[in-house]
Amino acid sequence: MNNFIDYKLIELGQWTVGLFNDYPVVQILVHLLLATLPLTLVFMGAFGFSTWLERKGLARIQNRLGPNRVGIFGLLQPLADGIKMLLKEDIVPDRSDKLFHFLAPVMLMVPAFIAVGFLPLGDGLMALPMDSAILFFFAVGSLNTIAVFMAGWSSRNKYSLLGGMRAVAQMISYEIPLVLSAVAVIMFSGSLNAQEIVASQQIQSWLASGNLVKEFFGQILGWHIFKPWGFAGFIFFFVAALAEANRSPFDLPEADSEIIAGHLTEYSGFKYAIFFMAEYISAFAIAGIATTLFLGGWSGPVIAGLPWFIIKMFSLFAVMIWIRGTLPRLRVDQLMGYAWKFLLPLAILNIFVAGFYYFAEQQFGSLAAFIGGWVIGFGILQTAAKGLSRLNKSPTLDGKRVYQLVE
Amino acid sequence: MTVAFYIMAAIAVLGAVMAIALRNVVHAVFSVLLFFSALAGLFILLLAEFIAVVQVLVYIGSVGILMLFAIMLTTKVTGDPTRKLLSRGWAWGGLVSGALLLAFLVPLITQSKSESNSQLSNFNPSVKDLGLTLMDPYFASVGVIALLLTAGLIAAVVAASSASGE
Repeated sequence: MNNFIDYKLIELGQWTVGLFNDYPVVQILVHLLLATLPLTLVFMGAFGFSTWLERKGLARIQNRLGPNRVGIFGLLQPLADGIKMLLKEDIVPDRSDKLFHFLAPVMLMVPAFIAVGFLPLGDGLMALPMDSAILFFFAVGSLNTIAVFMAGWSSRNKYSLLGGMRAVAQMISYEIPLVLSAVAVIMFSGSLNAQEIVASQQIQSWLASGNLVKEFFGQILGWHIFKPWGFAGFIFFFVAALAEANRSPFDLPEADSEIIAGHLTEYSGFKYAIFFMAEYISAFAIAGIATTLFLGGWSGPVIAGLPWFIIKMFSLFAVMIWIRGTLPRLRVDQLMGYAWKFLLPLAILNIFVAGFYYFAEQQFGSLAAFIGGWVIGFGILQTAAKGLSRLNKSPTLDGKRVYQLVE
Repeated sequence: MTVAFYIMAAIAVLGAVMAIALRNVVHAVFSVLLFFSALAGLFILLLAEFIAVVQVLVYIGSVGILMLFAIMLTTKVTGDPTRKLLSRGWAWGGLVSGALLLAFLVPLITQSKSESNSQLSNFNPSVKDLGLTLMDPYFASVGVIALLLTAGLIAAVVAASSASGE
């Protein structure tokens, strides 16, 4: 039976809430705790695990061993790191803005955890089940910018301020293609509700047919990533998400070879750890929302629900680690040009392609729309991408490179 | 509900007062942001989800950042502490605004309270309904606003490019 883990979890929650039937006030508190506490704990644990995963993965890419002293395969390394961070001295610069210096990590962590609440982890498993969850997610995500700016400004350090300014410019620029590529999905699903977006990616008539093979593929083939606009949209979304989460190759705000550590320069000890945690949890959240929008959310064969969501989310995070080990960092001018001159026009074009696909599906049936969409729609997108990259090419790169300082 | 309303309202008033009273401009902007977020919370209490989202997305996420950017361009972040924040006739201004509040706002609030209860039964503030309302009866005005904003955007691009180029 599909989704049985989700239903068991919900049953467990209802049973626990039912224990407090006689005390209504306590019941509300228990309800709130059940919605938030497991999420917080699980994602904090996932943060610890993924730091290990990232270090191990990067080490593998760079032909090293990675952490291997604490526990088996170095699995307890996050714990050791956490204890180290806790015991470290908390240094606050003398001329810094003390209050804001303290508030910045908190301001970064709170939106990150709120954003996690909007993820549809399973059928009915959603900490904040709101009608416009997707919109709320992006709204909360935009608060990160302010926290990073706060950190950069309050430190009274030129590198911090440079990092903060970079972060603000980058996050605001990339938020536009991020939201616009999600708009195509929202248009197609006709809803801002995360659960309905997941449901729109399941072929409902196949699921109800009772045929096992159809049920199996009905959970997969409807994902938006298999449609031409969905595939293109997923790529735009993922690139913009990397920039939103300050992940490599868009980690310019904390580019350590240029501006020390950007907005993190003056942070130490546990505040630094909180910054790191917030960044990882934002990365999880944005990987989770990419899963929801394009990869079918929690739908999947055999074990639909929470397991599939976690598998997909962590796979996307693994791709982020892979990219970090592979690509060099962008330059600042390349960064802004890429968002405004390349991603933004393509994301807008993608909305039109999605609109045409929607009506083609109603007119000619889904198979004809699928084939035609991939041939025509994706062709248009690819031609546009090629044309844009040719337009954006800087004239100096056409001819032979001239090195003025050599010789 | 009522407790939440009073907490939110207190935060909003605190943020608004601090925005005026603080000498540090950056602090003032952040207290404006505090005010905005409390307002978003109040909208959620009114079941106006979409307006709350827009409040966060547009006012905190964009307008707040815009204000911070504008402040980054000023050289003096902290004002002169010897100068008084209140002008001489502040008492008169307070008196007039208090009188206006009592004369217009309070009667309006008490009046609308009794009316809204009857309308509350067929009131459905979902995002879908809002979208349909905007796109169907009010499509012309939405289109005109969109056109104006696009024109403004292009004008900004033209202004910026002609200033830096040539």
